[in-house]
Amino acid sequence: MRIVNSRLRLLLLVIFVTFGALLARSAYLQTVRAASLGAAGQSQTKGAITLPAGRGTIFDRVGTPLAIGEQATDVVADPMQITDPHREAKVAAKVLGIPFRPVVLALSQRKSQYFLVERQAPPAKATALQKRNLPGFTFRADERRTYPQGTVAAPLLGYVGVDRTLGGLETELNAVLEGKPGKEIVVSDALGQVVDTQQERPARDGRDVFLTLDSQIQANAEQVLQATVRQWHAKDATAIVMDPRTGAILAMAQEPGYNANNFPQAYGHGLTVDHAINDVFEPGSVFKVVTIGGALAQHDVTPNTEFTVPGSLKVADRVIHDAERHGTERLKVSQILQRSSNIGTVEIAEKYLGEAGLKKWMARFGFGQQTGIDFPGESPGILPSYWSGSTIGNVPIGQGVSVTALQLASTYAAIANGGVWVQPHLVDHVLGQEPPKLHKRRILSPAVDDELRNMLRGVVSDQGTAFLAKIPGYSVAGKTGTAQKPGGHGYLPGEYVATFVGMVPASNPRLLVLVSVDEPHGQIYGGLVAAPAFEQIASFDLQYLEVPPDLRIK
Amino acid sequence: MLEYAGSQRAGLREREAPRLLAVVRSLDWVLLASVAALVVVGLWGVAGVTKFAVPNDPTYYLNRQILYAVVGAVVLVVAALIDPDLYRRYWRWIFGGTAGLIAFVFLLGHAANGSTRWISLGFFTFQPSEFGKLLFVLALAGMLAERQRLIGEWGTTMKVVLFAALPVLLVFIQPDLGTALVYIAALAAMLFVAGAPWRHLATLASVAVLLVAGVLWIGPAAGVTFLKGYQQQRLTCFTHPTTCPVAAGYNLDQSEAAIGSGQFHGRGPNGATQVRFGFLPASDTDFVFAGYAEQRGFIGAAILLGLYLLVLWRGLRVVTVARDLFSAVVAGGIVVALLFQIFVNVGMTMGIAPITGIPLPFVSVGGSSMISNLAAMGVLLAIHARGRASRRRR
Repeated sequence: MRIVNSRLRLLLLVIFVTFGALLARSAYLQTVRAASLGAAGQSQTKGAITLPAGRGTIFDRVGTPLAIGEQATDVVADPMQITDPHREAKVAAKVLGIPFRPVVLALSQRKSQYFLVERQAPPAKATALQKRNLPGFTFRADERRTYPQGTVAAPLLGYVGVDRTLGGLETELNAVLEGKPGKEIVVSDALGQVVDTQQERPARDGRDVFLTLDSQIQANAEQVLQATVRQWHAKDATAIVMDPRTGAILAMAQEPGYNANNFPQAYGHGLTVDHAINDVFEPGSVFKVVTIGGALAQHDVTPNTEFTVPGSLKVADRVIHDAERHGTERLKVSQILQRSSNIGTVEIAEKYLGEAGLKKWMARFGFGQQTGIDFPGESPGILPSYWSGSTIGNVPIGQGVSVTALQLASTYAAIANGGVWVQPHLVDHVLGQEPPKLHKRRILSPAVDDELRNMLRGVVSDQGTAFLAKIPGYSVAGKTGTAQKPGGHGYLPGEYVATFVGMVPASNPRLLVLVSVDEPHGQIYGGLVAAPAFEQIASFDLQYLEVPPDLRIK
Repeated sequence: MLEYAGSQRAGLREREAPRLLAVVRSLDWVLLASVAALVVVGLWGVAGVTKFAVPNDPTYYLNRQILYAVVGAVVLVVAALIDPDLYRRYWRWIFGGTAGLIAFVFLLGHAANGSTRWISLGFFTFQPSEFGKLLFVLALAGMLAERQRLIGEWGTTMKVVLFAALPVLLVFIQPDLGTALVYIAALAAMLFVAGAPWRHLATLASVAVLLVAGVLWIGPAAGVTFLKGYQQQRLTCFTHPTTCPVAAGYNLDQSEAAIGSGQFHGRGPNGATQVRFGFLPASDTDFVFAGYAEQRGFIGAAILLGLYLLVLWRGLRVVTVARDLFSAVVAGGIVVALLFQIFVNVGMTMGIAPITGIPLPFVSVGGSSMISNLAAMGVLLAIHARGRASRRRR
């Protein structure tokens, strides 16, 4: 006989209720809340890490590195695991050479779990710190962009800041340079130690890029500009060296320059704008090739067509003069160009081109539109939007229009290239990709182009404005420009832009060099200020490129 | 007044012992089988949660635990063969021995985690308070049996409670709050099974409630503290989880995350990141249920809880077949102590009981717990067998 009583039944009830509660709770946690609790567990052990892709190197045309990714280390701390914030901050600050206070403040925030102690620290310093075995510190491989050539081509290269590009070719070419970052799942234990890494997707490094630039030609051009600016107490200066046959830009220099590694400071001083591409200026007489080239191409004139050129010419409300005062004289078209006669040029424009003709030839020669160069922020220049009566007296001689140095250089390059305009470009090729397709168009017939180039040879002669551009052993063709600088109201008194664009050897041009000096003082003329700089740049480049002389040296 | 199988013949004289064969024939094979199954499941659990505890030695803890289980099995057999009446006659010695042993810990004890609970025996650190659970039950049952005729009186209840207070206090100041609470639960169960009047029990319960309130809230408010900071925090955290400091709530968060991560089927020892990567604290001892549930899932948890239920049910059945009040009270104390440990331990891992450092019987890594629990099961089997055997003979 079994003796059962109410107390034991009560106890049995307690047991069942207890187990009912335990089982129900267990079922609730493991089914209803399983997903969220599981996710909470996963989130503390698994973390995705982005594997940085190596950024492609930018080389010049002969393989000199201009922008490279240098190994660097990100130093990261987990304040929750820091045992002694003061001591560890002191060690970290000392070894890395960074300020102590921000570090100790951050490390003392015990609730935080992430603090970037230093981004892209030099690997040597990071390794030294790693050897100190500070608890809570971790080290991640990163990459830092450096520009080994320093000042060479700095505004062209631009900069890579923290996770974004800051202009220049770094921005233009970012898509090919940056590659694709990889992803890694890192499994860490409760102490934050990495116990396993699962590669999800490897990083794909960016592609290397070869530019058309030649760092020697570029560096030389920069030095020449520096001396020129110093000599003429100029505000700044720009130079472009092109291969007219291919549109390849061998150098694009500007002064004052800066070290590409110090982009942030240079940016603060406004030095990072690329003047040749992003800035415009009134070209002055170098623009006369549009007028004279157009009239030649229309077969309205030949180089020998004579014009009666008075001492001054009234156009609407304006009176035009030449740079050197003279009485009425008979000048051939070639002489008008050689002496850079404003009056003769305006006469040709009024007689044969008019507003419509000028507009047509400006467009044909590429003004008022981007060249399409592979560089961000190219200016199309500014053509007059409204033609008054006096406009026909300004535009033919390069006033009242704004152009980029690049537009001028590429137009003259077309003249050098037998009348075929080739799209100027900075990238020769991206490693592993086809070279980019270039726009080409004929703007002058070969015969007209020969005439025009021959006339430009006359400019670089003892009778021309650019006798200082002569280079022993080589025939040189080119054009000077001395433009007044427009200000808020009319032109700025005493401020000019002196320009020379030249090609050499003139018989079969291999080089096109433009030099433009902004606000020279002492002398203002393109033939006196810019032409000597052209001569220095071109002489160096001809030797460097081993271009054979086409003249016998007397 | 309760009636037990042998209560008419209760007394201080030695009983005539049934023969060994009769004892074996009268064993509760279901209880024995479910305890065996529980030990096996426990070892399975330990195999999982300790797989990565020692680098390059996945069975380090399992091997030790198997050794404890074997020793425990021997102890169980011995306990099953010993006539429980022996304990009744020598309850004073047992009581004195138990209290002395626990007190001894303070002299020779070995501190771990800020608490002095262990005595080092070289190869094995021995935890007297674990064995104390069983000895406490045996001794107080003896005391109650001696006062069988005076159970209904206030004096008896008061004397038993005062007697019991000594070992409870000794364990409490180790400090081992959890085990002290197990002792109290066992004491309550024994008074209950022995037939102490409801009004006594109600009064004691009221005093207990007041005491808890005093220790947890009124005392601290008045500037008097009885508990260690972490104990206080764990207990008050349980009632106000949202106001808990991060560190105090960390264990529970990790525990629930582990259990939830196990889902229905479990993640297995290799995939269970909470245990493997050390997020779950004390995953082989106090929070072993959470680790087990992460690795073995709801299925594993249900199997484990089912086996516990089976053991407790059979244990409660032993109370009904006990041949005398002493045996019944012992069985009741053992069953409720076991129930309390299971509830508090499993419940704390799931946030339905306060966090105290109690091992999970048959699963937590630890020799003292394993051996003493198997010994208690042996005593239950002995009580069952003697009860059956004596009834059969009549």
